[in-house]
Amino acid sequence: MAGATDSTSDGRRSGLTWARIRRYGYDTLTYLVYALAIAFFMFPVLWIVSLSLRNEGAVYTSLQIIPNNVSLDSYREVFDSGILRWMRNTLVVAVASVAGIILVTTPAAYGFSRFEFRGRRTLLLAILGFQMISPIVIVLPLYDIMRTLGLTESHMGLVLLYIGLQIPFSLWLLKGYFDTIPTALDKAARIDGCNRLQTLRYVLLRPVMPGIAVVAIFNFVLTWSEFVMAYTMLSPGGEDLYTLSMGIYVFDNQLATQWTNIAAAAVIGIVPIIIFFVALQRYFVRGLTDGAVKG
Amino acid sequence: MGTESATEGLSVRTRIRRTVDRSGISAVVDRTVSSPLFWLLPAALFISVFQLYPMVEVFRMSLTDMSLVSSGESYVWLENYRQLLGSDRFRSTLRVTAIYSVASILLQIGLGLGLALAIDYGVRHNLRGPLLTRVTVLSAWIVPGIIIGLVWRIMLLETNVGVVNNTLGQFGFDIVPFLSDAQMAVFSVIVAGAWRGAAFSMIMFYAGLKRVPEQLYRAAKIDGAGPFARFRHVTLPQLKPVMFVVTILVTIYSLNSFDLIFALTNGGPGRATEVIALSMYKTAFNGYQMGMASATAVVLLVVTIGITAVYMWLFDITEEI
Repeated sequence: MAGATDSTSDGRRSGLTWARIRRYGYDTLTYLVYALAIAFFMFPVLWIVSLSLRNEGAVYTSLQIIPNNVSLDSYREVFDSGILRWMRNTLVVAVASVAGIILVTTPAAYGFSRFEFRGRRTLLLAILGFQMISPIVIVLPLYDIMRTLGLTESHMGLVLLYIGLQIPFSLWLLKGYFDTIPTALDKAARIDGCNRLQTLRYVLLRPVMPGIAVVAIFNFVLTWSEFVMAYTMLSPGGEDLYTLSMGIYVFDNQLATQWTNIAAAAVIGIVPIIIFFVALQRYFVRGLTDGAVKG
Repeated sequence: MGTESATEGLSVRTRIRRTVDRSGISAVVDRTVSSPLFWLLPAALFISVFQLYPMVEVFRMSLTDMSLVSSGESYVWLENYRQLLGSDRFRSTLRVTAIYSVASILLQIGLGLGLALAIDYGVRHNLRGPLLTRVTVLSAWIVPGIIIGLVWRIMLLETNVGVVNNTLGQFGFDIVPFLSDAQMAVFSVIVAGAWRGAAFSMIMFYAGLKRVPEQLYRAAKIDGAGPFARFRHVTLPQLKPVMFVVTILVTIYSLNSFDLIFALTNGGPGRATEVIALSMYKTAFNGYQMGMASATAVVLLVVTIGITAVYMWLFDITEEI
């Protein structure tokens, strides 16, 4: 009896050590993956920052991440070239687009979540279909339409375009959030004498706020980074209208080989959005996963 | 007792409000907001103008000889498609897009799944670093595509400024023509694309992995399944719906790639990295042939829809939606 317990505990102990060895193996492998991933994904950003801080002559000592003489000359030159204006344009366009997207999408998401009507499912699937289609496919007719409406070379036009392009994704995401709010709340508000507008405003808006935040953050990053539409619609309008990414692209073409200046412009294009993202990445990740994998 | 008086108070209040509210304007408001049309109209308007109409319009334009610079157009029907499908340029574009897309899909899904597994393992076993890894990889994805292309172009420069060639040089290697050799350029574009795109697959797979219940792993362990058997018979089947979504979305992104390649190689050297979207854009805005470019866009659209349909059939996802 005693011998039997001994042998099982013995067996378990040796199994445990074997498992522990294996566990260490997996842990080491995982840490190796982390290290490689961080190196690979962080390096380009670190290196471009490093390049931007060098003197024009020091660009050849490439692997030295911290330059010998840190110089801010390139930033001074880039700021003189109007990048602040492009940044302000981008900010204005992004904020206006986000506001517009929320203003248009929230009622629509409420409508799809709270009404039963014929063709509802078909409409939702059609909207999902639009989400699947890349805007690049329709950039040519869009340019034609915008030109006809007199909306090219204007930030207002670009904002309207962004709202139109971002509705499908935002609508699906927000509808998902509305669906999680029990309809008992609506009924209670109804009994209280609220009409639907008041119900949305005073009862449902608060619980759906996290969803709206996710939509706002997501669309802010998207419109901040957007290039093709901005480049196509604003290009003829002159430098004063440029957004950040198109400004940096044009700037890069003009400067040819002034690497430190190009690097400084790139850093200005990268760093604010990364800071914004790192601060809010929790919401961002939620939006991405909620929006795309809803069984 | 307390609840009863509460409902009583409520109904009294309701009655008062109802009698007060039956006046004209608010009745009209009431009726208007009771119709779904009121709620959907603004969104419907935007979608019609900026998505539905352009979609129809791109088909119509592809049947004309429309030009960017001169007004006036006439229908040439399928002439654009005939020319397009017969041209060497378009065939090379299709080949480049196919190579780029297949490589990107495999690389990004592989990288994404590997990273997601490592992060999920780290979170389940309380290792340090999963959050930092996740945020770092995702930051790469957040950088505007046009700037990613620009940064990689400088990194891959074929002089000593280019950090990759500079480093290789210090180990005694010759300059590698990352951007001036046709095949190397395709490779460079694929790698830069994976640098950007892996984050998306990673975060989607990670969300999928988080949803696998711990009990399933424990049950499999009790049944004597080793780590590989557990991965094969527990993790992978549980990931199937996510795998489906990721595969479709990564395919769509890859097929429609534009901004990163636009900044990194601009389709060069020659047309070695000219994908469909780039070819379309250049035909329209450098060649002014809007009709021909629209036909290119339609081909891109048809290819995307066709491949999505094939995936739906392959994954046999119908029972899961």
